[in-house]
Amino acid sequence: MDPISGHEPDRRDSDEGLIRRIANGDEVALGVLYDRYGGLVYSVAKRILGDSGSAEEVLQDIFHQLWRNASRFDSVRGSLSGWLLVMARNRSIDRVRRQTPSVDEEVVVTLDGRALDLESAAAQNEMAERVRAALGALPEAQRQAMELAYFEGLTQSEIAKRTGHPLGTIKTRLRAALASLKTVFGA
Amino acid sequence: MDRHPQFEEDFELYEMGVLDGSEKTEFEAQLADSAERRAQRAAARSRLALLALAAPPVAPPPEVRERILESFKARNAQRLEGEQSLRPRRRSWLAAWAPVWAAICLILVVAAAWLAIDNRKLSSSLAELELTRAQLEASSRELRVATARAQAALNVLTAPETIQVDLSPTAARPVPHGKAFYNPTGGLLFYTTNLHSLPAGQTYELWLIPAQGSPVGAGVFNTDSRGNGQVILPSLPQGLTAKAFAVTIEPAGGVPAPTGPKVLIGLVS
Repeated sequence: MDPISGHEPDRRDSDEGLIRRIANGDEVALGVLYDRYGGLVYSVAKRILGDSGSAEEVLQDIFHQLWRNASRFDSVRGSLSGWLLVMARNRSIDRVRRQTPSVDEEVVVTLDGRALDLESAAAQNEMAERVRAALGALPEAQRQAMELAYFEGLTQSEIAKRTGHPLGTIKTRLRAALASLKTVFGA
Repeated sequence: MDRHPQFEEDFELYEMGVLDGSEKTEFEAQLADSAERRAQRAAARSRLALLALAAPPVAPPPEVRERILESFKARNAQRLEGEQSLRPRRRSWLAAWAPVWAAICLILVVAAAWLAIDNRKLSSSLAELELTRAQLEASSRELRVATARAQAALNVLTAPETIQVDLSPTAARPVPHGKAFYNPTGGLLFYTTNLHSLPAGQTYELWLIPAQGSPVGAGVFNTDSRGNGQVILPSLPQGLTAKAFAVTIEPAGGVPAPTGPKVLIGLVS
């Protein structure tokens, strides 16, 4: 219950509305938001880290950071779902690389004006399908390069070393993959 | 990278962390801090965020949700407790300092009372000092008068034009003697010895006998037990030329013209 309004949050409430409630100490709103995105965050972390324990820690860290910074959320500047996905990937990669988290993490992922509508499970599922389809449509070499770069956090030199292909080839494959994925990004 | 970053892929590669070595350094060097560059980086991040959806969906364990919510509740409770504890802390702070303030107030009251009493004493002392001052002033005035008279007598005695006249008794008796010092502008000083005391109702009177005219009264006097008497600076007309001085016995208070017997006389030589 919102300690200020006294109302229960609705599962149809927008991310912005839920964040406002969380900033006011509404634990139920936090629960709704967790139910909305917790699975996504955990999936990304599990894909990158491999083990459940580390993925759980990343999930907890991200939601702790979310409610600690809830009052600073600016819906005009970005999307909460975008922020959660970027955080899930970056925190997980940091763990893989034994790096301290970057301090340059904005509270929200600043978008280019287009909303990343993943507030509903349906929207999430639909977008996820499109991304997987687009990645699946890439030539194997390009998909492999993209997965090594995105889900393992390797640099182009490291990918070249891992795959045994020339650096220039890796650069070309990555650029080509990203160009192909514009159909998804541009939607 | 040998070109100015302009393609979306350049930013995506950078945001993904793929660039390394000199290529990363070169790219960062070409990133101007401008609104356009920030927008390009933001767009790249948002596109890359979608790639995370490619991760196979896996549900987190239920206990993770409970841990997160419990942690959130605990933090809220701490924050609330912190706000509430400020009030009793303030109250206890006030309560702790209350005896000190009470003691300070008591000290101030006592000090004020002491100052009030002291003030009354000072006022009283001031009144006494005022009285003393008035008395001293009166004494000072008397002293000034006496000093002036002494100075005037000294002037008569020391002035070159002052004449000295010895007076002798008219008959053979224990010798009364008198001496007059007269200065026509300064005044007259007269001293006598061995004059017997007069009965009540009588007095000696000194006369200035001018060169012309009737004797002028120059003051009355009585003698002490040794027969000494004096007249100091009596009121006389200014500039009188004296040819003699005399002392007669007159009724108490003196008379305008000699009537009684002369006991001393002295001629100006």
